[in-house]
Amino acid sequence: MKFLINPSKFNEIADYIFKPVLVLSILLFGLGLLFSFYLSPDDYQQGSTVRIMYVHVPSAWLALLTYAIMTFYSIVALAFRIPFGFIFNTAVAPIGAIFTLICIISGSLWGKPMWGTWWVWDARLTSVAILFIIYLIIIFINLSFENRVVREKVVAIFVIVGSVNLPIIKFSVDWWNTLHQPATISKLAKPSIDPSMMTPLIIMTFAFMMIGVAIAILRIKTEIISRKSNLS
Amino acid sequence: MLIVKDLSIERLDKKIFENISLSLAPGNITILKGKNGSGKTTLLKAILNLIEPSFGSIYWKGKLLKKNLYDFYNNVTYISDTTSSLKKLTLVDNINIWKKFFISNINDSQIEIALKTLKLDNYLDKKVGTLSFGETKKLEFLRLIIENKNVWVLDEPLSNLDDDSIELMKQTFEDHCEKQGSIIFSSHQNPGIYVTEEMQL
Amino acid sequence: MKFLKKIIFFYYREYKLNMSGVQDILTNIVFFFLSIFIFIFSIGPDKETISTVGVAIVWTLLLLSSTLSLRKFYQDDFENGNLLIIHLNGFSFGFITILKTFSHFLFVQVPFLLSIPIACILLNIPNDKLLYLFTSFGIGSLTLSCLGSISSSMNLMNQRNFLLGSVIVMIFSVPIIIFSVGIINMEQNFNSLINILFGILLIVFAINPWASGLCLKLSIENN
Repeated sequence: MKFLINPSKFNEIADYIFKPVLVLSILLFGLGLLFSFYLSPDDYQQGSTVRIMYVHVPSAWLALLTYAIMTFYSIVALAFRIPFGFIFNTAVAPIGAIFTLICIISGSLWGKPMWGTWWVWDARLTSVAILFIIYLIIIFINLSFENRVVREKVVAIFVIVGSVNLPIIKFSVDWWNTLHQPATISKLAKPSIDPSMMTPLIIMTFAFMMIGVAIAILRIKTEIISRKSNLS
Repeated sequence: MLIVKDLSIERLDKKIFENISLSLAPGNITILKGKNGSGKTTLLKAILNLIEPSFGSIYWKGKLLKKNLYDFYNNVTYISDTTSSLKKLTLVDNINIWKKFFISNINDSQIEIALKTLKLDNYLDKKVGTLSFGETKKLEFLRLIIENKNVWVLDEPLSNLDDDSIELMKQTFEDHCEKQGSIIFSSHQNPGIYVTEEMQL
Repeated sequence: MKFLKKIIFFYYREYKLNMSGVQDILTNIVFFFLSIFIFIFSIGPDKETISTVGVAIVWTLLLLSSTLSLRKFYQDDFENGNLLIIHLNGFSFGFITILKTFSHFLFVQVPFLLSIPIACILLNIPNDKLLYLFTSFGIGSLTLSCLGSISSSMNLMNQRNFLLGSVIVMIFSVPIIIFSVGIINMEQNFNSLINILFGILLIVFAINPWASGLCLKLSIENN
């Protein structure tokens, strides 16, 4: 488990698992697309358009998951002075931003036939848009400050302060009566979604996760190398 | 009273200096000499607990500096290379703010004597922004007198001063040491002041 | 006793500093009113439209105008070494941020608070909404000061791009605006919305010394 904290151990294990993760992600992606397009049923209300869900929901989950892991690493890095947390923040922020962008764009494309509009200002959409802007601000902070020691700590503080947005996104559909669909899958209750739709959803989630992990491995290794040679 | 033991500081993975030890007792003057960039300001800031050393420790009155910080700050005055007087306000406003904010127990006649010796008494109602740089630096030294603390930590105090002012500063330093105060300052020139300890970085 | 005296004389210093350049405060107010004029020119003098969006315009402009003065928050004191001297006088960095936040509130937000009635006349906002606007701005402006402190302390080391600080303030003031304007337009939910505003204020007020203090300490270390 040390590879999650120690950069050199991470390099060893990352070299080991990069190719398998890449192959696994391509396989899962293929399998997931197969399931989404051919092997899962049409929705009785929405018809074939429901299949956008298999892109929209995994990317949303992964955007939130990325930010949650970034918050965890920021707290660890600031409190226990483990520099790997700062490396993780710099490396993974663009990945989270792309996931959020995919979520917003696929949501808009899904919303036009369903609700008749590209965008509506309800709680969940607004807070996901704010999450996207928070990711962008993290990327900008990484680009603007020159002194590395200050920069990484400022990013960590900003990530922690911005983590207030996560509960708002998660529970916004419960708190306010909105246009967006309330949560179907929750830990405390039996999921109300049919298993034949659950399977492609889970497969696509893992596929996105593996792609995210592969890109993250590349970016973390780049960051470690640039720190070692004092380029940053 | 101030003891520095085996201090090493690195910044951005580059060693600035290592294994520096010095001690500052009442009545002593220490001078830090070194070329530009050798770490004099960094050492002074480390003494003030503003920079974390990567190795070594600093003691004040027998205890670790970090644990005795409030007492240390009650006894130290720091002058950096930038002048801290507020440029938009007049001289007399600045002096009043310093007198009140540092809760100084010095009376007005002593301040007047100091102003006369520093040759600043004609500028009392002028804004600090209109003074020359050397005169603003002399105003900083007035802050030293107002704060009236034991330990003086000065960063390049004699740069940009003319010869008369340097003579004045020498006299002030010697007076302070006679009253059992201590001074540590950095300079890259040779000022001709009698020092107790010399540290070359 | 000494500590209390130091705090009082710190505010004496801030008072002298801000009142010597009263034109800075007045420029903020003038900016506020000028932007109200610009809004009126772009919307048109129709009284109905103006009073519907009036409250929203007032709040947005208050937010933007208070981000104008962020440059003066820590930058001046940091550059001429005064931050260090205040710290060496016995205040920890977190405490300095609390003091400076209150001073920013007193010298920047309170003038806006005092100019809200005139803005309400200009924008044709009815009188009962005026009281709610006052309350919500009273609480919200302290929150905005805390956010301004966090963002301008983050910006101390960043000499290039100043707008980044304003962006950081604006993003976290979105919930404040949502709830403040909500209070004014939905009077039956007043109690619950005021409580939410207070809650946000308390959270931000608690985070402020930690985050800003850490950034100040970092920037002094790396100057």
